This record gives sequence, C-alpha cells and structure tokens, in this order.
Amino acid sequence: MAISRRDVLLGSAGALGAASFSFPAPAIAQSEPIRIGCLAAITGPSSAPTVGFNRGVNFAVDAINGAGGVKGRKIELVMRDTQGDPTKAVNATQELISQAKVHAIWGPLNSGEALATTPIMARAKMPDLHPCVVETLIDPVKYPNAFRIAPSNNQWDDAVRNYCLKIFKVKKVAVIGDTTGYGVTAVGASVAAFKKDGAEVVYQANVDATQPDMTPDMLRAKNAGAEAIVVWSVSTGMEARMFNTRAAMNWDVPFVGHPSMASGELASLVAKPENWKKVYAIGYKSCSYDSAGKLPPKSEDLVARLAKANVALNDTLLWWVAGGIDCIELIAKAVAESGSTDSAGIIKYWNSLSTYPGYFGNYRFSPTEHNGYLTEEIVMSESSTAKNGTFALAPGYT
Amino acid sequence: MLASILASGLAAGAIYALVGVTYNTMFSTSRVMSFTAGQLAMLGGVFGSMFTLKLGLPIAVGFVLTLLCCAVIGIVTEFVAVRPVLKSLDQHLYVLSTLAVALMIQQVTAIKWGTEPQPFPRIAGFGEGVLDEKFWLPVVACAVTIIGLEYLYRRTLVGRAFLAIAEDNFAARALGLPERNLRVASYALAGMVGGIAGFSGGQLLLAFFANGALLNFYGFVPVALGGLGNNRGAIIGGLALGLFQQAANFLVGGIFSSVAVFTLFIVVLLAAPQGLFGASTARRV
Repeated sequence: MAISRRDVLLGSAGALGAASFSFPAPAIAQSEPIRIGCLAAITGPSSAPTVGFNRGVNFAVDAINGAGGVKGRKIELVMRDTQGDPTKAVNATQELISQAKVHAIWGPLNSGEALATTPIMARAKMPDLHPCVVETLIDPVKYPNAFRIAPSNNQWDDAVRNYCLKIFKVKKVAVIGDTTGYGVTAVGASVAAFKKDGAEVVYQANVDATQPDMTPDMLRAKNAGAEAIVVWSVSTGMEARMFNTRAAMNWDVPFVGHPSMASGELASLVAKPENWKKVYAIGYKSCSYDSAGKLPPKSEDLVARLAKANVALNDTLLWWVAGGIDCIELIAKAVAESGSTDSAGIIKYWNSLSTYPGYFGNYRFSPTEHNGYLTEEIVMSESSTAKNGTFALAPGYT
Repeated sequence: MLASILASGLAAGAIYALVGVTYNTMFSTSRVMSFTAGQLAMLGGVFGSMFTLKLGLPIAVGFVLTLLCCAVIGIVTEFVAVRPVLKSLDQHLYVLSTLAVALMIQQVTAIKWGTEPQPFPRIAGFGEGVLDEKFWLPVVACAVTIIGLEYLYRRTLVGRAFLAIAEDNFAARALGLPERNLRVASYALAGMVGGIAGFSGGQLLLAFFANGALLNFYGFVPVALGGLGNNRGAIIGGLALGLFQQAANFLVGGIFSSVAVFTLFIVVLLAAPQGLFGASTARRV
C-alpha cells in the first residue's frame, strides 16, 4: 500500500495528540511506602544526639503509620549508621539516593558529616532536613534542597548576646573558647557581634581544652572587669575547670553560652554542686520549664504522649526527641500537601511554610531562607536543672 | 600568682617528667622511641577512675590494678609494635608501628570509655587552693618514682642488667643476659611508670581519652631537652617545661604559651642538639 503525504501528516498529528495526553501514573507509585532515609550516627563517640532524635523519629513514624499512613501510604525508614564519620556518611548518602531510592533524607546529625553530604544531595535534588549548626550548610542558591530545623551558630550567638546585653544588662564581657576550629571561629564571631552592639569585650581567649589549670585566664578576665563570661566550647572538662576556678577565686560572675554547659557529665566534674550554679546555657522555649515547673502546654502534651508510648526522656534531651518528630511530620505533611513524593513538590511545600507549628519550635521557610528555626524560640536555661531532658528558664524571662 | 604558677607548673611538669621517664625506660632496652608513652599515662587516669569510681574499689586496690593493667599494655606494645621492627631499626619503622598502637589505644578508649572527660576521685583528701593534693600528688609520685628507679638501676641485679642492655646490647647478650625477657620487663616497667603519671595526675587532667596525644607531645619535650635515655635530664626538663608553660599561661595566655614553649624548645635544641644533659656519642663509620 502506498503511503501518501496526507497519511504521514495525519499519522504525525495523531501521534502528537496522543503524546499530549499524559499516561496515567502507575497505581503502584501511589501505594508504595514513603521511604525516608536517615543518616544517623547510631554508634561511635557522637551518637548521643542520635539516640534522642531516633526516639522522636520512631515515635512519629509509628503514630503516622498507626493512623493509616499519609493518604494510605505507610512511612518506611531506611536507617544508615554513619558512626559520625564523613566518609561513611557520603557512602550512605549515595546508597540511599541510588540504591534505596528514598524520597527524602533526615540528617546527617552533625556538621562534619553534613559538610560532606550536602553537595551530593544537592546534585540529586534530594529533599533534606537536618539540625546541623554550621552556617554554610544552608544556601538556598547552592543547596535549594537543604533545610535546617534547628538554630544555626549565628542564631545561638544572637541569643547569647541578647541575653547578656538586654536581659542581664551587662556591659563588659569576656569571651572564652577552646582552640578547636569551632572554638576559634565562634569566639571571633561572638566578639565582633558584641562590639557591633556596643558592648565592651574586656578579654578574649582561646584556651587548650586540656589545660589543667584555668586560673590564668579567669584571673585576667576578672582583672579586666568582666561582668559575664561567654563560653564557646564543647569541652565539658574545660568548662568544669572554669566553674571550679571561679569558686576558688570567690568570684560570682555568671557564665553564659554553649549548650554543653548543661551537659549531665558536669555534675560529676565540678568539685561542689554549687560551682555549677549561675551558669546559663543555650536552651529552647519549648523545652524549658517555668518557676512552677511547667513546660509550655504543647510540650506538656507531647511529654505525656511520649510517656504513654514508653519513650524515655531521662537520659536524653527533649529537643532532640521533638526535633525528630518534627522532621518526620514535615516530610509527611509535604507528601500529603503536594500529593506525591516528587522531590520538587516536597521542596516547594517547605518553601511555602510561613509558619509551621512544630514541637521543637515554630519554623518559617521561604525560597530564599532555609534557616527555619526562629531565633526568638532560643532562651537561656539554668544549666544544673535538667529534668527529663528539659531545663529551668534562666533568670529574667517571664 | 607566683604560688599558682609554682603549684600548677610543678604538677604539670612532674606529669610530663614521668611520661619522659616512660619514653626513656622503653628506649633504654630497645632503642625504640615508643609513642605509646602518653597513652599509657592517659590509661593511668582512665583505669584509675574506672576501678575506683565506676567499680567502687578502694583507692589502693584501684592503684595496684591500674599499674597491672598499664604493665600489660606495655608488654602488648613490645610484642605488637616493637619486636617485629627491631631487626630493621635503621628504617625507623617503629615510628609507624608504635604510633599505630597509640592510635588504637586512643580510639578503643574513646569508644569504650567515652569522649567526655570523667571525674577522678580525691585520693588523700588534703589541701585547698594551691595546697590542694591534685597539685602535689604528681610531684610526690615523680620523686618516689625516680628514687625507686635509681634504686632499681644501681642496687639490684635486674636493674644492672637493664643498664647493661641499654649500654651495649650485643655485649650483654654475649654475657648471657636474657635480652628479650629484659626488654619485655622494661616495657612492663614503663607501663607502670606511665600508669603512675596518669593516676597521680588524674585529678588535674581528669580521665579523658584525649590526654594521651597531649602527654605524648609534652612528654617528648623533656626527653629531647634532657637527652634521650637520661632520666635525670627528663625530670629536670619536665619540671622546667611545666613551670615555663604555666608562667607563659599567666603572662601571655593560652595559645601563645604553646608558641613560647616550642620556641624555647627549638632554641635549646639548636644550641645543644644532644639535649642539655645528653652526651654526644661517637659513631663507627
């Protein structure tokens, strides 16, 4: 049979027309589980936060799946132990993306790993939520897929400075950190910000965390007239030595700064329990109790639900558990609202959140701001008042 | 301020000196600079805290068990990192093998003990301020250890055998001395000296896995200053280092004090490469 030019034109038009109708998506895509990859340091020296985060993650997954899932789709966790090692985190990220084919990733849970994995996830356009504090991990242009649901270093710094200058109303501060990269960077940024706000930084130092005697630096800070000592270090040994030295000097200057000053280990490292008083560490409104011993109502409700589900809080921090719950709920909500597990839809939904009420705090994202945690949610806590992963508000808050 | 410099400077210096003696004890019978010396001192603090605080044993029992454990680690070092490389000492493979064992000790301690410093108990319970026992126990431990070692080396047969091996390995073997067993014994002894350093300095340094690297470093300085293999030099070098470091801490501050210490260290080595108390040796060519 001869094929005429008319037949060719008709055939082409028909093919084009057929192509313009989308094929129905396979039913399996709408019923398959929502796979969430978790990059968690389950073992190794930096596993303590993961233990807390995982309790929240599992609690949220069980609750959502128990209620029928997200529009009938169950959530499936694909957990990978990174052991706090960036190399293992990179391997796990690639495996989650290319082999496990997860729809979104929670983690990594520490900045060292996140610095290595964030560009990989960006290349794969993988929706990612993480709680890591390093500023450069969030960049909506370079990493449009990455969203932070915890404070950044700068937000911590702002909160500490605001407490010293506006609530504690001191004018002269000493800023002391350790000699790690973190300590040096944090002290530099903190000193610059204090000076910018008109405060007088009478003493600044980076001290080797293993220095056995802190008297020299404490003496210099005292002689310089410091009214508060701002501490940027994760070394509880160094912090305990500073608290003990303050007591030996009969000096009642307050310490304000890094959350590690509220770490439980300090109870056994200080020479006397009273040496740990007047120490105010970074905390969060949602996880701080007032003078009556009450948490905010939403947190009280969460703690009751966690207790009912036998989720222990006595050996972890409430904010880790709450952050884990928020991350799963943010992913579930994004799938529910966008109608699919398509990464573009999930990212678009997160970018549209002008206010999202989580358990750890309220979040706000936009296409140009992926630091979702609000600075006003950060408060100072009385370091030595830990109770089921929560702390008493520091003086000055109503 | 002067009292504080003296108290904490002598305390830190005594710990550095004991780590220096640990280096020397291992070096004397093997000609190997074992970089596990600082880790042995770190383990002295960790084992001490574990036996006395975690397991609740009496201080004396905890001390003896700590020394035994450190001695075992010393012996393991000899078998694993020293013996296999002795045949090719000139290739300095011991640097790699002992560093590898040191890193393994540190990592295992971090995983099993934790990465946070743990408290160390009060031992005798005396003193406050600059008279606190935490400053003076290392000094006493250092004095007792050096007297004990002097007695061992000068008054006992085993000690003289150690000296003979250190002086001339081949001649000592020709005389029938059990060189291999003496070397193992010297590593056990070094483990115990390191354990004493860590136990006596536990209240000052706390039981912390990262102390090992620090003590490896600062313990090496008195060895280099005092002359390799010279215990008296290590003691004087260690105490001088501690005092100078603490004075620098007071006068110029944390980061700069390390710079000051190592500037002095380099200047001394430029002036006396064999160490202040070391003798230059002739080498047959």
